Amino acid sequence: MPRRGVQPGRLRRRLTIAFVLVAGISAGALALGSYLLVRQARMDDSVGRAKTEALRELRAAGSVVAGAPAGAFEVQNLLAGPESSGIHALFVAGAAGPTPSSPSVDPAIPADLRTLVDRGRLAYRRVAFGGTPYLMMGSRIPGSTDELYLLFDEHSLFHDLGVLRDVLVLGWVGVILVAAVVGRTLAKETLEPVGRASEAARHIADGLLDTRLEVSGGDEFGAWAASFNRMAEALEAKVAALSEAQARERRFTSDVAHELRTPVAALVGEASLLHEHLDRMPEDARRLAELVVHDVARLRRLVEDLMEISRLDAGREPVQPEMVDVANLVKGVVRTRGWLSGVTVEGDGGAVWTDRRRLERVLANLVGNAVEHGRRGVRVWIGMVGQDLVVEVSDRGPGISADNLPHLFERFYKSDPARAGGGSGLGLAIVQENVRLLGGEIEVRSEVGVGTQFRVVLPVTEPLRAGDVTVSARTDHEAQSPSSEGGT
Amino acid sequence: MDEPDPDSTLPTSVDERVLLVEDDPSIREVAAIGLKGAGFRVTTSGDGRDGLLRARRDPFDVVLLDVMLPSLDGFEVCREIRKDSRVPIVMLTARTDTIDVVVGLESGADDYVTKPFEMAELIARVRAVLRRSAAEPAERTHSVGGLEIDPGSFAARMDGRELSLTATEFKLLLELARRPGQVFTRELLLQRVWNYEYLGDSRLVDVAIQRLRSKVEADPAHPTLIRTVRGVGYRLERG
Repeated sequence: MPRRGVQPGRLRRRLTIAFVLVAGISAGALALGSYLLVRQARMDDSVGRAKTEALRELRAAGSVVAGAPAGAFEVQNLLAGPESSGIHALFVAGAAGPTPSSPSVDPAIPADLRTLVDRGRLAYRRVAFGGTPYLMMGSRIPGSTDELYLLFDEHSLFHDLGVLRDVLVLGWVGVILVAAVVGRTLAKETLEPVGRASEAARHIADGLLDTRLEVSGGDEFGAWAASFNRMAEALEAKVAALSEAQARERRFTSDVAHELRTPVAALVGEASLLHEHLDRMPEDARRLAELVVHDVARLRRLVEDLMEISRLDAGREPVQPEMVDVANLVKGVVRTRGWLSGVTVEGDGGAVWTDRRRLERVLANLVGNAVEHGRRGVRVWIGMVGQDLVVEVSDRGPGISADNLPHLFERFYKSDPARAGGGSGLGLAIVQENVRLLGGEIEVRSEVGVGTQFRVVLPVTEPLRAGDVTVSARTDHEAQSPSSEGGT
Repeated sequence: MDEPDPDSTLPTSVDERVLLVEDDPSIREVAAIGLKGAGFRVTTSGDGRDGLLRARRDPFDVVLLDVMLPSLDGFEVCREIRKDSRVPIVMLTARTDTIDVVVGLESGADDYVTKPFEMAELIARVRAVLRRSAAEPAERTHSVGGLEIDPGSFAARMDGRELSLTATEFKLLLELARRPGQVFTRELLLQRVWNYEYLGDSRLVDVAIQRLRSKVEADPAHPTLIRTVRGVGYRLERG
């Protein structure tokens, strides 16, 4: 059974994960790309605006300095301009330290920016001071060697970018969640027919051959369901035909045996009278009459066995359990059939709850078989092993070869055609069917030249019936309560 | 079939008359030959209705009934005969139908013989039922509780009310009543009541006990008089 190893829902999980991955990666790439583009544009824009502003301030500063070296007053004047329009500035003259327009905003000027500005370029760097991001743009003041650095506050720019980033991340997470839900639902819906089909296949395997799939929609699953149904129909028809053929065959066997019953009954009666009159027959007719008597007995066994096996096949043999003393039963079988000299009975199973007639049939056939093939030294052992009754019938006959052993319980199987005995060829098949009927098992071991042993294992249960009285008589495992009344 | 066999009734040395109702001519003839050879006076019939008429018209010591009969089956014939006669009845059943045995015994048959049978077996069974119906030698009346069993007159009474029992049922009740309180195994009852020395069929005992209970127990489903002793057999309560 390949049922083991299949984990339902694994494919669904894989499909969902794939769906989430695709959605997450595309949405993530899209979000990241747009964020980077917006960020670049906003920063370029900020630089552009800073440049315009810076050029204006520098021009204004140039007019303040106007070629002469700037004194303290000029510097104050020069710095007041940008400060008044909300732009902090730094004034640098030669090697002296920078002079800030606002004493609280005095960031260090990056060396590479100084270098660029020293070469007479308009340049910028982004710096942070006191937790605020600034765009620092500097240049020489026109007509002077002094330098002016302007600090443009980019706080709102970075704040906006941060908000944008947060929104995009949140959106991305949202997309992943939606993708997970949608993917799961889609996978479930897509794979649902597979689940139904696997259940239907399991039903068919369990013998419910009328199982059919619902053909819904014109998709691949619909087409597949239709072919599945065709397969199930074909299978059902085939099985029905086979069992009908088997039933027909069994009916025929049963009918044949049934029709043979009446003439055989007449023959048996006639032969029994003939047997009584053998002495009064002339010598030459007597031998023929003896043969008739003998063959009628054979015919009778065959017909009775045939009828029994067809009844067993039809399931018409009721099991009527009662308390049976197995050792007594075996001894009775051996005594009434005249096998006392060749059979020893050992062990004791006590009294068990089983069908007396079925068990008697099993034991009589097995012991009879052993007596026929084993001749001397047939041994019957009876005992309880755990909860089971075990009966072993062993003989020291010629044994059965390993080739023949597996076929021993087949109907009309003769291991050695030349040695076909007086049996019908159905004896062991009947034993097996009866053992099955009693819920037990039979096995056989044999060794050529040593002997054969049949071992019957029967489960023995003892349901208590209301109203029955229990006494401790004969059997030692009967209840110890003498004459105690049962309920009701 | 309704035509009586011209020589179906032969005088014999003993007085025991057997009615054989069987539809198969060969079986009927061979059984008749065997029974005659054993000293019985045999009347045969091949039809249920005809057999019933004969059983009512002439007195017989034992009736042998096939189950499958034209016009009226063996169970019906048995039930009809039982209505006004306690003549021992032996059913001739097929081994195939285990249910036949029970139905036959429940219809009031005393015993059954399965087909195919050897003549010696049939004759032994017929003699056994005849012995059973024979009156007991003088034996005192047994009283157990409200039961009164008089072997001399073949009569049984329950609280003064006359019980209508067949020979087998009477014999079974008498056997139990001889030792009230003692447990009888099925095997022992088969020996004492049915005169079987071999391994018989314990269903004979079970069905006969059921029929007996239906006649003597107030509530046959919950017997208080004839108790089952689980795994062993039956006993009659001392009352």
